[in-house]
Amino acid sequence: MDSNNLPNPPQLDLDAVREKLNGKTGRHYWRSLEEVAETPEFQQWVDDEFPNRRSLVDMDRRVFLKFMGASIALAGLTGCRGYFLPEEKIVPYVKNPEEVTIGKPLYYASTFVHAGYGHGVLVSQNEGRPTKIEGNPDHPSSKGTSSIFMQAAMLTMYDPDRSQEVMAGRGDDATADSYQAFFRELKGKLKATQAAQGAGFRVLVESITSPTILEQLAELKKAYPAMTVHAWEPFGRRNVYEGTRVAFGKPLNPIYDLSKAKVIVSLDADFLADGPGALMNARGFAAGRKAASEGTMNRLYAFESGASITGAVADHRWGIRPSAILDAAKSILNGIENGSASPVQGVEQRHLQAMVKDLMAAGSAGVVVAGDYADPEVHIVVAHINEKLASNALSYTEAFDTEATSASINDLVKALNANKVDVLAIVGSNPVFTAPSDLEFEKALGKAKFSVHYGLYRDETARACDWHVPATSFLEEWGDARAIDGTVSIIQPLIKPLYNNPTPVEFFGALQGDLINGHERIRKTKYAGAVADENGWRKVLHDGVVPNTKLPVVKPTAQQIAVESKPVTGIEISFRPDPHIFDGRYANNGWLQELPRPMSKLTWDNAAIVSPKTAAELGVKSEESLTITVGGNSATLGVYVQPGQPDGVITLHAGFGRTEGGTVQKNAGVDVYALRSSKALNHAVAEETRGSSAVYALATTQIHHSMLGRDIVQWNTLAELSGLTGETAHGAGEHKEGEHKEGEHGAEEGHKRELKDLNMYPDEIFEFEGPQWGMTIDMNLCIGCNACAIACQAENNIPIVGKEQVKRGREMHWIRIDRYYTSQNAVTGQRTEEPNNKEVDPIDNPMPVFQPIACVHCEKAPCEPVCPVAATVHSHDGLNQMVYNRCVGTRYCSNNCPYKVRRFNYLNYSDNQPQFSEASVDIKQVPGPIKSPKTNGIQLLQMLVNPDVSVRGRGVMEKCTYCTQRISGARIEAKKLGRELQDGEVVTACQQACPTQAIVFGNIRDKDSKVFKSRRDKRAYLLLNEELQTRPRTSHLSKVMNPNPEIKA
Amino acid sequence: MAQIFKPSSNTVARFSLFLGLSAPVILGLAGAAVSRSSLNTKVNVPKNQPVPFSHQHHAWELGIDCRYCHVSVEKSAQAGIPGTETCMSCHSQIWTNSPLLEPVRKSYEENIPLKWNLVNKVPEFVYFNHSIHINRGINCNQCHGPVQQMHITAKGNSFQMQWCLECHRAPEKYLMADKANPGLTPRQQVFELYWKVQRQEKLTAREEALVTGGTARSEKAEDVTAGKELVQKYGIKTQQLSDCGVCHR
Repeated sequence: MDSNNLPNPPQLDLDAVREKLNGKTGRHYWRSLEEVAETPEFQQWVDDEFPNRRSLVDMDRRVFLKFMGASIALAGLTGCRGYFLPEEKIVPYVKNPEEVTIGKPLYYASTFVHAGYGHGVLVSQNEGRPTKIEGNPDHPSSKGTSSIFMQAAMLTMYDPDRSQEVMAGRGDDATADSYQAFFRELKGKLKATQAAQGAGFRVLVESITSPTILEQLAELKKAYPAMTVHAWEPFGRRNVYEGTRVAFGKPLNPIYDLSKAKVIVSLDADFLADGPGALMNARGFAAGRKAASEGTMNRLYAFESGASITGAVADHRWGIRPSAILDAAKSILNGIENGSASPVQGVEQRHLQAMVKDLMAAGSAGVVVAGDYADPEVHIVVAHINEKLASNALSYTEAFDTEATSASINDLVKALNANKVDVLAIVGSNPVFTAPSDLEFEKALGKAKFSVHYGLYRDETARACDWHVPATSFLEEWGDARAIDGTVSIIQPLIKPLYNNPTPVEFFGALQGDLINGHERIRKTKYAGAVADENGWRKVLHDGVVPNTKLPVVKPTAQQIAVESKPVTGIEISFRPDPHIFDGRYANNGWLQELPRPMSKLTWDNAAIVSPKTAAELGVKSEESLTITVGGNSATLGVYVQPGQPDGVITLHAGFGRTEGGTVQKNAGVDVYALRSSKALNHAVAEETRGSSAVYALATTQIHHSMLGRDIVQWNTLAELSGLTGETAHGAGEHKEGEHKEGEHGAEEGHKRELKDLNMYPDEIFEFEGPQWGMTIDMNLCIGCNACAIACQAENNIPIVGKEQVKRGREMHWIRIDRYYTSQNAVTGQRTEEPNNKEVDPIDNPMPVFQPIACVHCEKAPCEPVCPVAATVHSHDGLNQMVYNRCVGTRYCSNNCPYKVRRFNYLNYSDNQPQFSEASVDIKQVPGPIKSPKTNGIQLLQMLVNPDVSVRGRGVMEKCTYCTQRISGARIEAKKLGRELQDGEVVTACQQACPTQAIVFGNIRDKDSKVFKSRRDKRAYLLLNEELQTRPRTSHLSKVMNPNPEIKA
Repeated sequence: MAQIFKPSSNTVARFSLFLGLSAPVILGLAGAAVSRSSLNTKVNVPKNQPVPFSHQHHAWELGIDCRYCHVSVEKSAQAGIPGTETCMSCHSQIWTNSPLLEPVRKSYEENIPLKWNLVNKVPEFVYFNHSIHINRGINCNQCHGPVQQMHITAKGNSFQMQWCLECHRAPEKYLMADKANPGLTPRQQVFELYWKVQRQEKLTAREEALVTGGTARSEKAEDVTAGKELVQKYGIKTQQLSDCGVCHR
């Protein structure tokens, strides 16, 4: 099915949108500009639960009959196993491994490495295959929570597109060869460089923090004194290091403890989602916002050059041009030094003044965070500001990753062009795709006399090197890495390398001239808090963390350095890593590709993200094309109009448009690295922008599953909230010893009782003695990072559906994070509560509110009575169960669900992975041992599934189960021990992953449970309960804003 | 011209009318009968295996405990099928040259698992947990039939949902305590039954039934009362037992 057959983009009239928003009174919410404009497309989505279903009736009669015939024939055959079908087999071990109890997972501590920095993980392993990653509670970075990258790493491990063989030769002429052959040739070439002390020997690495590999690099340097290590991390921290180097004399690594901050100012820092400290920052930030109901909360001001989740959760947010970020930094510094903040384009002076006053009042409880991609000058100024504040929330250690300590990629290209490189080893990185375009890396690479690429995929760089050696996933190797605070954790293998490849440590060993064993090598590494003996080592492996390896905090003094701001005119381009596939390294990960981006809700694509005003100036609308030219190179992208994007700024997310190395990433998005030059890495000025009305279809989920503007998201300011008591705040129908408390709104009680009498659902089922499950989601803590959604995907075997199916609204995520906008936005200082203030554009800087929503498990679930086959029914412990084997796919339940949380499997997504279709096999066959590297794709992906959850087929409705498999598991274990379930014993996948712990799950009948208390928080409300009397088991806690009272428009 | 419809045509017409009307009913009943018969369910149909392993010989004649091979039955959802090494723990000493055991030795030498044919199976959408049933004193034979009397293993019961629900709706009719050995936990009691058989002790009627291929189900008032006490004691929430989510997820 061609996605171009789908309806054309709606003709969106922004003036009409403004008009409508200006006409609104009271708190009004919207999810997309289309929704406000009430475009026909939006209406279609709302009117029809299953829009675009034409594809189902589109097939001709013959094909239809063929399908029908085939499914009937198959249905009849199931009883004939042994006659017509092969017998099913049961295959035990030859020798039962110790520790393995069949049917019970084992857990191992390991470390997931993202952009060089370690995040401690606990990985579950079922009969030898790793299946699920969770955070390690003992690790300072993850503390038991997860990022999306961590969760999705499991899919990368089983990715059938991973490189499987050592390849000799470039491009299509390469042939498979052996690692031994490579090693022999490498040894010879390295020997030849020894005469010149290795002057012609270069290693290009990514950001690396592994103590073992850093030791190996140092040893290498000793053996070849003239060799050079270069580092290239497309979206690394080089600006941080450059800024601190100028300010303090040496590159430093800033670490934030936001739990100690009362006032936080972000200067283009997406510190909640991006960078090695993101999980730590999210936790610290949440710690300052948890106690909103008790009346205390931190305050976040954000200046941003694009729309990020950090800006979205800020109390005050200003979208400004990237070139103005430095002005904002200087303004704060001036304000602190001379009491008057200097002007910043696009921000009202008195707002700046009030903000600086607030920051100064906070003193050491204030902190300014500069973004990793902000210019070094910003970091210099921010270093001064934080020094003036004597901020408690910030500490420095010496920079320790290779980016701070190695030569640059520019030097490498210079050496290559001067024909000075005899041996080049590129480890992990993909510079042919990611290097700045002015370096022409691919051309330069051709001049290396001998080049080898070591990486997970045979990607663009691998094809341009003389040799390619496949890497191992972190689940297959021994290794180590440091967290942002320096803590060392061990990478412990969960499975033998699938393709018998060298691990990174072993590959560096090969560069040193030895075929070493990775495990033996890391045992020799000296850790600061040395691992004394075998018992100590066992404990380290068990905990995952090496004790006392945190790096010492340095207390530097910043030098006074004046920085000049350079005014920039024209349309500015802001290059950012994609929030999900990062710099392109996760592009072949379908989970990450399909996860809707937090702000744009885009899937499978990047876009030219522009503000409504800029779009109008450029003469383009959403889903039209925009050709951008920078430095003589151009790229044509689809346009995405993003409310809140600063005017005159186009944000481009890099990482898309990959050409080599995998089938999943094919045709996803456009490569924008071509526009990025080494002079203007993160921000550039567009030489030319040319709009065209050619359609560039984008798959965004923002209008899918809409709840039609009912009172869904609620928020208060902190001041308002302190005036509310539990009684007057949003009432929630609660259970009390099998009885239901009547509504708390006095006057409405009669009406409610009437509704209740009209209710056709039985109550008896809740008179059950056991636990009654419930959940609360704190929208004040939710940062919209999507970790819950991908954790759910990994736990519950949720398939991906592809861009074309997403466009039809068939994405399968059980939990989605709705991003609402409200333009009645007094708190951001951009707009008054008066509805007809024309001075401020209502779609210019709207306040986003994130609302995660999965099945809310209504006690009076509207989906249940409409099911003709009773496939969705209630359990006694309050779960709205979905019985897949009963479901016949009428989809009535989904039609009748007011929360739009049910997902229908149209095309057998779990088995139909068209990208791997050439590798289709009889899935009922017992998978044999993996002998050939040409391993079957589907079999590999089958190793990923959670054995405790059904893999659903076509024609079946599915939805959040409250992780019923985890409930059952915990209940059975408790029963075997002869006790009741304890609070906190059942943890859902989303709850476990959430970096801010916004989700609480438990028994709502147990008065001491966390969820019981959370449900009675004065901010708690039940979605649509007033209107529909559905009595959801999931409560949402309203968002709280803590605006500066001095900032009013 | 001869008559086309003879008087007997009336009878034929009537009969075919009756047949036409009753055919769907008969076909339906026949279908139901076939689907419940061992033709479909394979109950009591021995299944050929690569090695003709006899439970009767090992479990009854030799008296090897179930858990010697099915090691995880008390701990995990799955009972576990023994690895080749378990077979070889004896057969490296006895019957070392038996041709019947050739596949076992080959598996052990070449480190390639034996592939047994699956006998007892619940569908993929059913999540059955052995350990909780054992921990509630549900005897192996209750579901698997008189395994200790099977030469070649066959399925003991249909494993159709209706059959599961008989107990899940009324566990008190199935639960029983071993009055002769009041000190035993329900889990121990399950395996004690086989020791009693070995010791040739006197069995109760329900135990006798289990051993000979019957069921422990009892409608007797005293048994039901005792069963209800056990339900209470074990904290079994009977209503919940027939919730869909208990088995399907």
